[in-house]
Amino acid sequence: MVTRALTEAGVLAALDEVMDPEIPSCSVVDLGIVERVAVTGDAVEVDLLPTFSGCPALDVIGRDVARAVEQLGARTQVRWVRTRPWTTDRITERGRARLAEYGIAPPGSPVVVELGRPDPIACPYCGARATEEQSAFGPTPCRAIRYCPACRNPFEAFKPKG
Amino acid sequence: MGSDPRLGLLLALADDELIMGHRLSEWTGWVPYVEEDLAMSSIAQDELGHARALYEIVSSIDGQDVDALALGRAADEYRNAVLCERPNRDYAYTVARHWLYDTADDVRLAALDATTFKELREAIEVFRLEERYHLEHARLWFRRLAEGPVEARRRLADALEAAIGEALALFEPLPEENALLADGTLPRAHEEMLADWLAVIGADLDAAGLDYVLAGGDEGSDAEMIPTSAGAIEADGDARARLQVPGLARRDGRWAHEGAFAGAGGRHGQHSEDFEPLWTEMTALYRAHPGASW
Repeated sequence: MVTRALTEAGVLAALDEVMDPEIPSCSVVDLGIVERVAVTGDAVEVDLLPTFSGCPALDVIGRDVARAVEQLGARTQVRWVRTRPWTTDRITERGRARLAEYGIAPPGSPVVVELGRPDPIACPYCGARATEEQSAFGPTPCRAIRYCPACRNPFEAFKPKG
Repeated sequence: MGSDPRLGLLLALADDELIMGHRLSEWTGWVPYVEEDLAMSSIAQDELGHARALYEIVSSIDGQDVDALALGRAADEYRNAVLCERPNRDYAYTVARHWLYDTADDVRLAALDATTFKELREAIEVFRLEERYHLEHARLWFRRLAEGPVEARRRLADALEAAIGEALALFEPLPEENALLADGTLPRAHEEMLADWLAVIGADLDAAGLDYVLAGGDEGSDAEMIPTSAGAIEADGDARARLQVPGLARRDGRWAHEGAFAGAGGRHGQHSEDFEPLWTEMTALYRAHPGASW
C-alpha cells in the first residue's frame, strides 16, 4: 500500500464510509457520533459517542471504525466516550436526509412553533405532519414508534435527545 | 475495594442500574405485547449502559476491569438497594418498582448534577437525557394501572405496598456519607434526597387516590380502596392511621422519613434471599469463562 500522509480530514473521509449497522444508509459521520479524531504520525485516536447508552451496536461500530482507519495504514485506537452527551442535533443535514430515505423520520426540530407545540414529526412515507407517538421505545434504543393516520402506516422516528 | 469514599457512591449507583437492568431484561420476549417488550428491553439496555459508564469511572480510580466489576465480584460486594433485586413478580409489581425506582433515580440524579466530582457530573448529564424517557414510561404505566379497571388498580396497590418500604432504602445513607458530603461529592445528604422524593411520590399517589398505600393498612374490598386523602388520616388513636411503612411518618401534611429503613443493608453488601439466585444466573457465563473476550 502506498502510505500517504495521514490527516484528520483523510480519516474523517474514511469514516464517512463506515455505515451504522442498524441504519445502513447513514455513516457514523452523518450521525454525528465521531467526537474527535487526532492524528500523531501514524497513530490515530478516534473518540466516538454512543447515541444512547444502551446501544447494542457499539462493539460492531467500534470494530468497523478501527478497521477503516487501519486500512489507511494507521495504528488505531478507538474509544467510546460516555461522559459527553450525544444529542440529535449532531445529526448532519445529509444524515437527516439519509434517515428519511431509509424510512426513519429524522428527529423534530427543537424549535418551538405556534401553540407551544414542538414541530411535528413528518411521516417518512406520505409526508403528513399530524403523526402520533405510539411508543418512545423502538427496535433500537435510538428509535421510537409513531403512526401516521393519513396513510395508516406505522413508522420509526429517531428519538429526540438533547 | 480501595479506601476512596467515592467508590461506595459509584458502586451504589452502578449496581442499582445493573441489577434493575438485569431484572427488566428478564421481560424480554415475555411481555404481552410487542411495544412494551421493546420498552422493557430498551430501558434495560440503557440501565446496563449507565452501569458500564459508572464502572468505567470506578476503573479509572482503582484500575479494576469493567467486566470484572460488573460480573466478577462476590455477591456480598454488590451495593445495590434490595428493592432492585426483588423478582419481577407480575407486571403490576414491575410497574410499581419501575415507578418507585425511576422517580427516586430522577431525584438523586438531579441532586448529583451539582456534584464536585467532575467525571460523575459528566456521566450524569448523559444519563439524564435518557432517563427522561424511563420516567415518562414509568409515569404513563403508573397512571394507566391506577386508573383501572379495578383489577389493575388493586394489583398496583398491592405491588406498591410490597415495594414502597424497600424503595425508601434507595436513600439509605452510604457508609462514607459524611466524607462525601464534606467535599461536595454528595451535594445533598441521602436523607434530604429522600425527603424530596417523598414529596414527589406523595403528590403522585395523592393524585391517583393511592396515598393510603403509605399509611392505610386497609385491605379487602374494592369499596375500601376509594381514594382517601392522606391528609384526613388521624395521627393517633385510629387503627386505620397506623403506618404500614416502617420509618415513615406524616407531619404537617407531608410524608417524612424517621428512624430505620425497611430492607436496608444493600449499601453495605447485605442482600435479601432473592439476590443469590440472580447473582448466580447473571454471572454464570463470566465465571465459566473468566477473561474471555466477546
